Amino acid sequence: MTHKEEKSSMLGQGVFIFIYLAILTLLEFGIAITFNSVVLLVAIALVKAVLVVYYYMHIYELNANEHEGDEDSYEYKTGTNRIGLWLFLVSDLFVFGGLMVMRINLLGLSHPDLNQNLGLFVTGVLLVSSFFMNRGEILMKNGDRQGFITNTMITLVLGLFFFLGVVAIEWRGLPDVAEFVLHLFGEREGVIPLTPSSGAAGAAFFMMTGMHAFHVMTGLIFLVIVMNNAKKGLYDEKHYPVEAAAVYWHFVDVVWIFFYPALYLIGSIAK
Amino acid sequence: MIKKNTFGSGLLLLLIAGVVGYFIGFGIDMLVSGETPKLAGSVPAAFALLFAVSAFFFGVYGYRGITRGLVWQVEGTILGALFVTGIRALMGMKGNELFEAKFFFSEPAWVFGALVGVISFLAGVGVIDDWMKWARGIDTPEHHEDKPGWEKYFGVSLDHKVIGIQYTVTALFLISVGGLFALIFRTELAQSGLQFLSADPEKFSVFNQSGPQMYNTLMSLHGMLMIISILLGVSGIINYVIPLLVGAHDMAFPRMNAFAFWVAVPAAVLLLMSMVLGGFDTGWTGYPPLSSRAPVGVQMFFLGVFTAGWSSILGALNVIATVIRMRAKGMTAMRMPIFVWAGIATSIIALTATQLIGLSFQLVMFQRLFGMGFFDPAKGGNPVLFQHLFWFYSHPAVYVFVLPGLGVISELLPVFVRKPLFGYRWIAMSSLGIALVGFVVWAHHMFTSGMNEYLRVPFMYSTMLVAVPTGVKFFSWVATLWGGKISTPTPMLFVLGAIVVFLLGGVTGPPNAMVALDLHLHDTYWVVGHFHDTIFGGFVFPFFAAIYYWFPKATGRRMNEFWGKVHFWLMTPSFLMLTFGMMFIGLRGMRRRIADYDPALGFDSTHLILTICAFGIALSVLIFFINIIYSIKNGEKAEGNLWDSRSPEWQVRSPMPAHNYEVPFEVVGEPYDYGLAGSKYIEFSASAGKKH
Repeated sequence: MTHKEEKSSMLGQGVFIFIYLAILTLLEFGIAITFNSVVLLVAIALVKAVLVVYYYMHIYELNANEHEGDEDSYEYKTGTNRIGLWLFLVSDLFVFGGLMVMRINLLGLSHPDLNQNLGLFVTGVLLVSSFFMNRGEILMKNGDRQGFITNTMITLVLGLFFFLGVVAIEWRGLPDVAEFVLHLFGEREGVIPLTPSSGAAGAAFFMMTGMHAFHVMTGLIFLVIVMNNAKKGLYDEKHYPVEAAAVYWHFVDVVWIFFYPALYLIGSIAK
Repeated sequence: MIKKNTFGSGLLLLLIAGVVGYFIGFGIDMLVSGETPKLAGSVPAAFALLFAVSAFFFGVYGYRGITRGLVWQVEGTILGALFVTGIRALMGMKGNELFEAKFFFSEPAWVFGALVGVISFLAGVGVIDDWMKWARGIDTPEHHEDKPGWEKYFGVSLDHKVIGIQYTVTALFLISVGGLFALIFRTELAQSGLQFLSADPEKFSVFNQSGPQMYNTLMSLHGMLMIISILLGVSGIINYVIPLLVGAHDMAFPRMNAFAFWVAVPAAVLLLMSMVLGGFDTGWTGYPPLSSRAPVGVQMFFLGVFTAGWSSILGALNVIATVIRMRAKGMTAMRMPIFVWAGIATSIIALTATQLIGLSFQLVMFQRLFGMGFFDPAKGGNPVLFQHLFWFYSHPAVYVFVLPGLGVISELLPVFVRKPLFGYRWIAMSSLGIALVGFVVWAHHMFTSGMNEYLRVPFMYSTMLVAVPTGVKFFSWVATLWGGKISTPTPMLFVLGAIVVFLLGGVTGPPNAMVALDLHLHDTYWVVGHFHDTIFGGFVFPFFAAIYYWFPKATGRRMNEFWGKVHFWLMTPSFLMLTFGMMFIGLRGMRRRIADYDPALGFDSTHLILTICAFGIALSVLIFFINIIYSIKNGEKAEGNLWDSRSPEWQVRSPMPAHNYEVPFEVVGEPYDYGLAGSKYIEFSASAGKKH
C-alpha cells in the first residue's frame, strides 16, 4: 500500500533530519570552543533553521491547494488556518528579532558567562523533543492514535525538562537543585551567577530566555490540549490541530536555534 | 433589577454609581493613608469612574457582554494586585515598602493586577468562550446568529459588520476623549503663563497631579489615545468594508476578529487608568530614562499600548488571510478594489512592526520592575536602543494610519468623478511601496538623539524616497479629477479636503527629512503642524468621508447633507488655520510639549487663534455626532445604490443582510470603468461562490 510506504519514508526522513541537526549542533559547539567564527556559527544556525522549517514544519504545505472543495469545506478551511498560523509566526518572529537586535546592540561580539555543558544539554533536549513531535504528527496523520499519544508524551516530558533546565537551573530558580546540577555539569568555581539587574549581559540573558521560555510554556499547554483531545478521538479524521501544535513547537525550536549561539557561543565572555 | 434597559436608566445609574463609587474610594483612601484625601484625589476618582462606567453599561445592557467584562476587569485587577501584595508580604515586606503608599498598591502589584484585569475582561465579555470549548474538545456552531436590534453591539458578535461598527464607535469615542484633552491643554496655551493648570498644588490638584504635571499627562495621553483611536478607526473601516468588497461572507477568522476588537477595550481602560495613577510626563513616545522614572501611570500606559497592539496585530492577520483566501471568483489581484490593496499594505506593517513597540515598552516595564539595565547606561544599557526599537514600529505606524485613508480617497474619487481611476496598477503598487519603504526610514526621528552620525544621511535619503510612491497617488488623483463630471455631496467634499490637507502634510515632510533643517525643526511646533496635517489628510478626513459614504450601507438611511456640509466647511478652515499657525510659530522657535512659553516670544496672539480654531474643530465634530445619532433613526431612507457606485456592496439592498451576499458574485471586468459604455465589474450568479 502506498500509504504505508509514505509513512515509513516520512518517519525515515525525520530520523535523517534529526541526525543532520545533531551533527550541526555538535559542529557549532566545536567551532565555538575552538576558533569561534561568527560567520560559520550564523551560517550553521541558518542551515539548521531551514532544515526544521522545511522538513519538520512543512512550510510547503502552504502551497498545497489541490483537492480543495468549496469555501465551507474542512480542507479549504485548513488551508486558511495554515496561512493564519504562519502569519502569526511571522509576527512573532519580529519579537525575537527585536530581542536579537537588543542583544547585538548591548553585547556585540560577547556572550554572558554561562555553563557551556548545560547549554549544549538543554539544546539537545529541545532538539530531541522536536524529533518526537515530528514522529507523533506523522503517526497521527496515518491514523495511529496511540503512537501519537506516546510520542507527544515524550515531547512533553522533554519540553518540561528544557523549561526547568532554563528556569530552575540556569536562572537558579531552585537554588539548591541548580547548584547540584551545575556541579554535575562541571561548573567552574567562583562564577558569579547572573541576575536580571546585574548589568546588560544579565538583562539580555533573562529577557531572551524568559521570552523563549514563555513560548515553550504556551507550546506545552497546546500539546497537553491536543493530546487530551486526541485521546477522545477528535483528531482521527481532522488532524489540523495536531499539525498546528507541532508547527508551533518546531517554531519554538527554530527560535532556540538562533538564541543558543547568540547566548552561549558567539564571541568572548562579556564582562 | 431594572426591567427595561435603556439609555436613560444607564445615565441615571451612571450618576448614582459615580457618587457612590466616589465615597467608597474616598473612605478607602482615608483608611489607608490615614489623612483626608484631596477632593479630586486619585483613589476616589478612580472608583467613581469605574463604578460610573460599569453602571452605565449595566443600565443600558444588563449584566452581560461589555458590562460583565468591565466588572471582571475591575475584580481581576484588584485580585491580581492583592495576590502580588500577598506574595510581597510573605517575602517579609511591611508597611510602606509593601504598598509603596502613593497609589495604594505597589508598582509590581499594579502591573500584575492590570494584566490579570485584561485577561479577566476577555473572559468576562465572553470572547474566549468558544476557544475554551474547543480546547476541551467541545464543538461549537460555525456561526452565532445575532438578535436583530442594537443590543448585539454591546456583546460579542462574530459578524464582521457588527465588529466594524463596534470598532468605529469605539474609535469615535476615543477620538472625542483625546480631543477633549487637547481642548483642555489648548485652552491653557491660549495665553502665556499658567492660568488654570497652576503649578501651585493648593490651586490645582487633580489625581494628585499639579497643573504642569496634568498638562504633561493630558498631552501624552492625547497623543496615544488618538493613535489608538486611529488604529481602531482603520480597523473599523477595513472590517466593515473589505469582506464586502471581496465578496466574502465574513472575515477568515471570525472569533479572532471579535477578540481583536474586544482586547482593545480593556486597553483603552488601562490608558485612561494611567491618568488616575499619577499620570506620566514622557509624551506618547515614552523614552527612557524619563519613562523609567515617571509615576506608576506610565506602566499602565505601556500595558495599555501593548494590549492595544494585539488588537492591531490580530486584526491585520485576519485581513491578510481574508484577502488571500476569501475573494470572489474572478477577482484577480489586479481586479481587487483599490481599498483592498491599501488594507493589505497597512496590514503588512501592522502585523509585523507592531511587535517592536510592544517589545520596547515591555523592556522599559521590566527595567522598572526588575532593575534590568536595558536602557540604563550605568548598567551597560543604551537609551538610544529604545528609540530604534520604538521608531521601527512608530514610524511605519503612520503609514498604518494613512494608507487606508488614501485607499478611501482612491476608492471614492472615481465614484464622484464618474471616470475611471487613473493608473490603477500604479496606485495599488504605490500602497505596497509606501509600506515597504516605510520599514527603512525610522531613524529620521533620531537625527538629534546622538545616534551614530553616519546613519543620518542614508536615512535622509530613504525618507525622501517615501515622497515618490506618495507622489504617484497625487498624480493619479489629479488625473482622475481632470475633466471628470465632479459632483460634491458630503463624502466627496471630505475626499477633496483630504487631498488638499494631505498635500500640505506631504510637502511639509521633506524639510524634516533634511538633516540640516531637522536639527532646527526638531521638537518644534513645525513638526506638530506637519504631522497633524498628514494624519488629518490621511486619516481623519477620509474617515469622515468613509462614514458619510458607507453609513447608508450600514443603516439603510443617509446622513443629513446640510449638516454634513456644515461639518466640512467649519472643520476645514479651522483645521488649516490651526496647522498653519502651528508651523508658523514652530519655525520661529515655539517648542512642543511645554505648558508655558515666554511672552517675549510674541506668540500669544497666534496661540489664541490656534485655541479658537481648535474649538471650531470640536464644534464641527459635535455637529457630526448629532447628525449621526439623529440620522440612525430619522435620516432620509436610502436603501438602493445611493452613490451610483459600481462596487459590489452597492448592488444589493441596504442595510446589508447578516451573511452578506445572498447570491455570490463573479468579477467580470475592471473595477473603476465609470462612464465606459457596456462595462461591467461584477455579475451575480449562484454558481460563482462555490468552487475555488
